[in-house]
Formats: sequence, structure tokens, C-alpha cells
Amino acid sequence: MAKEAVKPAGGRGRSLSYKKRGLWAIKKKNGGTFPVHAKAEKAEVAVTKAPRFYPAEDAKKPLNRSFVRNPTKLRASITPGTVLILLAGRFKGKRVVFLKQLPSGLLLVTGPFRVNGVPARRVNQAYVIATSTKVDVSGVDTAAFTDAYFKSTEKKTRKSKGEAEFFEDKLEKAALPAEYIANQKAVDASILSGLSAELKSYLGARFTLKSGDRPHLLKF
Amino acid sequence: MPFTRYVEIGRVALINYGPEYGKLVVISDVVDQNRALVDRPDEIRRVVNFKRLVLTDFKIDIPRLAKKSVLTKALEEADVFAKFSNSSWGRKIAKREAKANLTDFERHTALVAKVTRSKKVRTAFNALKKAAKN
Amino acid sequence: MPIQGGYKYHQYQVVGRHLPTEKDAEPPIFRMKLWAQDTVRAKSKFWYFLAKLRKVKKANGQIVAVNEIFERRPTTIKNFGIWVRYTSRTGVHNMFKEYRDVTLNGAVEQMYQEMGSRHRVRSSALQIIKTATIKAADTKRANIKQFHDSKISFPLTRRMARPSDPRFKTTFKANRPNVAIF
Repeated sequence: MAKEAVKPAGGRGRSLSYKKRGLWAIKKKNGGTFPVHAKAEKAEVAVTKAPRFYPAEDAKKPLNRSFVRNPTKLRASITPGTVLILLAGRFKGKRVVFLKQLPSGLLLVTGPFRVNGVPARRVNQAYVIATSTKVDVSGVDTAAFTDAYFKSTEKKTRKSKGEAEFFEDKLEKAALPAEYIANQKAVDASILSGLSAELKSYLGARFTLKSGDRPHLLKF
Repeated sequence: MPFTRYVEIGRVALINYGPEYGKLVVISDVVDQNRALVDRPDEIRRVVNFKRLVLTDFKIDIPRLAKKSVLTKALEEADVFAKFSNSSWGRKIAKREAKANLTDFERHTALVAKVTRSKKVRTAFNALKKAAKN
Repeated sequence: MPIQGGYKYHQYQVVGRHLPTEKDAEPPIFRMKLWAQDTVRAKSKFWYFLAKLRKVKKANGQIVAVNEIFERRPTTIKNFGIWVRYTSRTGVHNMFKEYRDVTLNGAVEQMYQEMGSRHRVRSSALQIIKTATIKAADTKRANIKQFHDSKISFPLTRRMARPSDPRFKTTFKANRPNVAIF
């Protein structure tokens, strides 16, 4: 487009080209010269002899596994005390109270158990709707709940069941350690002390979509 | 039924489409059979299609292409916006909006309130029915 | 200023001239206002028209400037007259059209739409000869004249309750719509 005497409309404007060409830098107050990056000095390459021996087969290089697992980012709408709606699993639809985020990135939630039967458990934040309702959890001691706390102690063994065993409905379940029950009771008690009757009935009710509800337009 | 609302200079209309749903505007001039120039005190005058407007019962006395100051004054004198939001139409819109903005907790309390209310009504009604039978 | 967008065709002012030669060091400069979708097409149109009018073509000419022209008062309604020339299947026709709009670009847009629908004229077969803002008293078309009334009053008939948002649209309805909304 050398023929065009003037840059046409739609080209780089006066102010933009001023910026891009660095004319501002040439001004006296900015040093008077166009800023230039200093050239990085090249490190001298040491002369090394080529090895005299090569392995016949290509040795497999181990894969680079140096990635760092970043801590899971907690959604901004979830803060300690936020009422969450569980979306998956055994307790789907239940409204629970968020207590804290564990180092594994999972959320520690509880019903409270007394109100809706949801014990202290871990959930992924992807399976949760955060509501705008908050419950006071400042008095709750969550020190006992760690990721290791939720590790199952029972050994998972999958044996092929014989016919006799299949009909045997004596399923022995290991009783929950007393410590777990005590922890749950302590948490429940400290949450319940600050709960109004309305909030209690709210947490006790399951969330469902009713006909005509548009979930993406609902405010939570 | 005859027509009661006409496209006129100064007619207050409601936008019934898109993100501006429920906004009141004043017809400032008529472009053609499809579009009108509408105005609002806090906005720049613009063209809106009649398909996106619903006429209201209110009409203010302004000249064609009235200045902002004239428009604002006329609107204040006629008190149109307040009158509209107090009308059953305006209250309906506000109610609908309030309902859409309920949080999950508020929805639950409303549901509980409705259940308790209808329970009370039912008990009272059944008691009356029983009394009438005897 | 309100956004003057949404129009397919924008108005450009293109300025160009013949390249200076030994014989003529300062050739005359030509300025043309025309409608195009962008500056590139505006320049192309400029050469197309200029080659027809003067002995200058793209190969021996240069563009001096291309600017977009915006409406000065996009908040008032004007009566626009547009003189057009188009080639139909049978021959060349001239036409004069009147439109009411807030911008000239809007009037041109209306004109392209109307020519396409009424006369099946493609935009490539259409040339805008001239445009003008016409005083209300000088307008000719009855459809334009009827809106020249400061006490204008007409009802909106056959109103249909439409969804407030495209999200709420449905393809099928259980009932026929009620269009008798007064």
C-alpha cells in the first residue's frame, strides 16, 4: 500500500502509533533515548569430548514428573458456615454446613448429623451448590477432622461370594469407634447452639427442583 | 372492546423484552409504523421497536422531542413512575422480580409459611363443615 | 453519544487522485461519500465509481484518505431521500425513495432491505446516486407524510404477548395466542 499517501481509517491511529513507536520514550523526561534491553551474555560452551561408548539400545528416559500439585482453589462463594446443597452421592439434595477446606482440597461438611443425618464428611466442591445462607460456625472446633481421619480402617477385600455366603445375611459391620461419635456430637452441639428454628427446618429439608424451576435462573 | 391506549407523544410505555424488561420509557417521537423514539431522564434518546414496547395508561404532557429538563419536570409533576409502581401492573412486576430474587433459604421459609397457612385454613374449614353437618 | 452500530453498511468518505506525473504534478483530488461494509470495500467502490466518471483508475491512482462518517444528531428523526439506480433483469432503473430514521445509515439499510424484498435487487446491482435530508413539507411519499403530526395518535393493533427473553421461547404452544390485547 505504498501508493497511499495517508494511512486510511481503520489503520493504526495517531495515539496508538505514538505509543507503539516509542516516541514517548525519546522525550527528555524519559531519558531521551529509546529503551533497549541489554543483550544477555552467552555463557561459553565448554568443549566436551564425545563419549566413546553408546548403549546399543535406547535407554528409556523416565518421564518428567516434576509437576507441583497446586492447592485446590476454594470457590469464593464458599466460606466457613456457608450452607451447601449436596448434588451427588448418598446425601444428594441435603443441605449441609461447610466447616473448612482440608489440605486435600475436599470440603469438610456436616449436616449437622442431629438435624438431617449427614455426618462430618468430605465432598468435592464440584458436587455442591453454594447458597448465600450462612451459619455461625465460629465456635466449632474442627481440629479432629483431617484427611487421615476419613481414611477407612476396614480392609477392602472383594471375595467372590459363594452361594451360601450370598444368602447369609449376617453382615457384620464394624462398629463406629466411640471417638467418631464423640467428635460428631461435639460439632453438632456447637453448631446447633447458634441455629434458629427456621434454619434448623431449612437444613432438615431436602432440596428438590419443582416443576417450572429453572435451575440456572434460580438464586441460591 | 375499543382501544384505550394510543401511540402518542408523551405516552409512557414499558419495555417488555431483554435485560431492560420492566423499564418505563416515554415516547418522544414516532419514527414510522414500527418504531418510536423513546426517552428517559437517565438515558440517551433512542429508537425502540413497538414489538418491544407495551403502552401503559399514563401519558404526560410534553412537546415532540422534548428536552431532558422538560421531560424530567413533566414526569415529576405527573409522578408517573411512582404511580405505575403502585398500580396493580407495577406491583405484579415487582412481585415477580422479588420472587425471582429469593434465595434458597427464603424459598424454603416461604414454602413452610404456605404449608402452615393452608393447614390452618383446612382445620378451620373442616371444623366449620363438621359444625354445619351436626 | 448512542452507539451507531448494527448497520451492515457504513458511510465512508474516500479521497483519492491520479498519481502525479511529469505533465501534471498536482492532479485534482476527488472526494466521494459512499456506503460499504468496511474501508477496504469502500476503496474498491471508490475506484469503481471514479473510473466511470474520470480517467483515473486504481493502477494509476492513489488514495489520500478514508474516513468513516457518523451521524451528527442520532437522537432526532429526519426524513431521508435516497436516489438509487439499479439493474434489474430487464434493464436499468432509477428510483427515489423516502425513509424516516435517526441516521442516514439506518435509512440506507432500510432502502437495501426494501429494494431486496420488493424488487429482488441484490446489493451488488444497486448504486446510491444521492442522498438528502428532506424538509417535512417537501416530502412526497404518503407513508412518510402521515407521521408529520405532532399530535399523532394511533393504537397498536394485533398485539401478541412475546417471551421476555429468547431463553423463554417455545416452538410449540398448547393454545393459539390472544392477539386482542388493548
